[in-house]
Amino acid sequence: MSDAATPRSRASVGPWGWVGRIFLTVMLLFTLLPMVWMLLTSFKSGFAALQFPPQWWPKEPTLASYKKLLDPTSSVGADFLRFFWNSLFVSTMSTILSVIVAVPAAYAFSRFDFPGRKFLFFSVLLRNMFPAVVFLVPLFILMRLLGLMNTHGSLILTYLTFGLPLAIWLLKGFYDNIPYQLEQAARIDGASRFQAFVMIVMPLSVPGIIATAIYSFIGAWNEYIFAYTFINRNDRLTLPIGIQRFFSESSSDFPGLMAASFMMSVPVVVLFLMLQRYFVRALTEGAVKH
Amino acid sequence: MSIRTSDAPAGGAPARAVARGDGVLRRTWIHRADYLYVLPAIVVMLIVIAYPVYYTIDLSFYSTPPSLQLRDKIFIGFDNYKTILESEVFWRVTLNTFIWTIVSTGSAYILGLGCALCLHQAFPGRAVMRAILIIPWVISAVAASYIWKWIYHSNFGVIGAILVELGIMDRQPNFIDNVNTVLASLIVVNVWREFPFAMIMLAAGLQTVPDQLLRAAKVDGAGAWQSFWHVTFPHLRGVSIATILLLAVANFNSFIVTWIMTGGGPSNASHIWITHIYEIAFGRQRWGIAAAYSVILFLIVMSLGYFYVRGLGGAEKEGGGS
Repeated sequence: MSDAATPRSRASVGPWGWVGRIFLTVMLLFTLLPMVWMLLTSFKSGFAALQFPPQWWPKEPTLASYKKLLDPTSSVGADFLRFFWNSLFVSTMSTILSVIVAVPAAYAFSRFDFPGRKFLFFSVLLRNMFPAVVFLVPLFILMRLLGLMNTHGSLILTYLTFGLPLAIWLLKGFYDNIPYQLEQAARIDGASRFQAFVMIVMPLSVPGIIATAIYSFIGAWNEYIFAYTFINRNDRLTLPIGIQRFFSESSSDFPGLMAASFMMSVPVVVLFLMLQRYFVRALTEGAVKH
Repeated sequence: MSIRTSDAPAGGAPARAVARGDGVLRRTWIHRADYLYVLPAIVVMLIVIAYPVYYTIDLSFYSTPPSLQLRDKIFIGFDNYKTILESEVFWRVTLNTFIWTIVSTGSAYILGLGCALCLHQAFPGRAVMRAILIIPWVISAVAASYIWKWIYHSNFGVIGAILVELGIMDRQPNFIDNVNTVLASLIVVNVWREFPFAMIMLAAGLQTVPDQLLRAAKVDGAGAWQSFWHVTFPHLRGVSIATILLLAVANFNSFIVTWIMTGGGPSNASHIWITHIYEIAFGRQRWGIAAAYSVILFLIVMSLGYFYVRGLGGAEKEGGGS
């Protein structure tokens, strides 16, 4: 995503230029306003949120909702922080595992020409077509068999497999772009194939690995349906499910809900903004090659 | 970024091209070490993917008791399939799902393309705008669903309040408690979450459009629209196919937005396949029916998936040449 290419000149703003500006403004408003409203609501008291006409700007802004959620001594706060920690643990573990499994697989799919390569690659991609529901009941039973119900292990294992196809696809795009001559040179200097992989290719593909990791992390952090099905114990819930419980118990506490939604979004948005260029590049590397 | 130009298995091929033409077994043996690299991935996929698929197909031929002690299930052949295909709700939900998928995918694609085109020119603030536009795609769908549920709230929702304040409506409209508007309202939320994905993909695609061609088109007197339609758009073909297919598959399989905002109601007006199956399985505990339902969906999505694989393969091939 370099800023180099600017095919259309900026000298004159023709009618299309104006259409573009108006369109972009509308899209920015469409994107931003819901999030702004979330933030504004989260600074209101429960009473102020339920007024008609609404307070367009909170008259008495308060951090009460945030304090309540982040206070480990209150029951809501203790729950919220535990959900947060659970989410962090599950997402981090499944991210690490999926990188470990995806890196060699993607490398093999990119470099080696073993029989069945195409078939295996597409059967990996095929997983994306199955509706998650196909897996729910059988995995539910499988997890019970393995004694993993209500454990984070069940979620980590599930997220690992669901993140894999995309991780492999993204990483393969990166490996395809690393010139084979580099490894050949290393091989000539006496490195084994595996050494060439670890010492030459791996360091070069760090951006790809970072991107894949972010992608897995965000996917796991936001996952809902399996966590909703596999986990019933209150102290094991992840954030999306925890927030749902929190909401159904106090259904008119919209400021609290908005504050929780905001805090749930912060880690992934920050992570994404920091590492944006890797992320965007990886996603497009598989589909478009420069 | 472009060094490699031709066929997909860039690397290993040259060194071992000798082996080509021998028997498959021999080649498999020669490449035995290669499989070690993909083995962990394949094993994990087999456990968590192949087994569930087999299990679901098997279960779809049985009548099952509500408890998940599935020992006393009874073989009933294709009866579950018959029950589903004869139920009116199934067709209603299928129609919903197609409306949901087609409208969401189309809108997300068009809005994404528009944004990608606008952001293709360099201007101050471009990077910030791009980052802002991507945020809805990054935040959790659960958070997004709650934000919009609050925005659509039938008493205190902000959209309704604006409409009333401006005098367009005399009282708060019901967006998601109304059979006629619920699906459209949910599609708006879905598009809000998805258009950034299309934007990212297409923005990358735009980078591959050769400048020379655009300049040549300008010299030949093509206007902005003509050069878009005859030069830019054809170049986006591969990435467009990949984007639309990925979005369509995601939309056929989507669950969270509908489940959290309406749970499929009111009176099934917003049920889509996955929420409906979830309700049949975990709500009504009719596992056999749910399994048969999943198989039907799988067959439908599979036939669409044929194009998915072909599209991805096509995009891959096209990308290689540029």
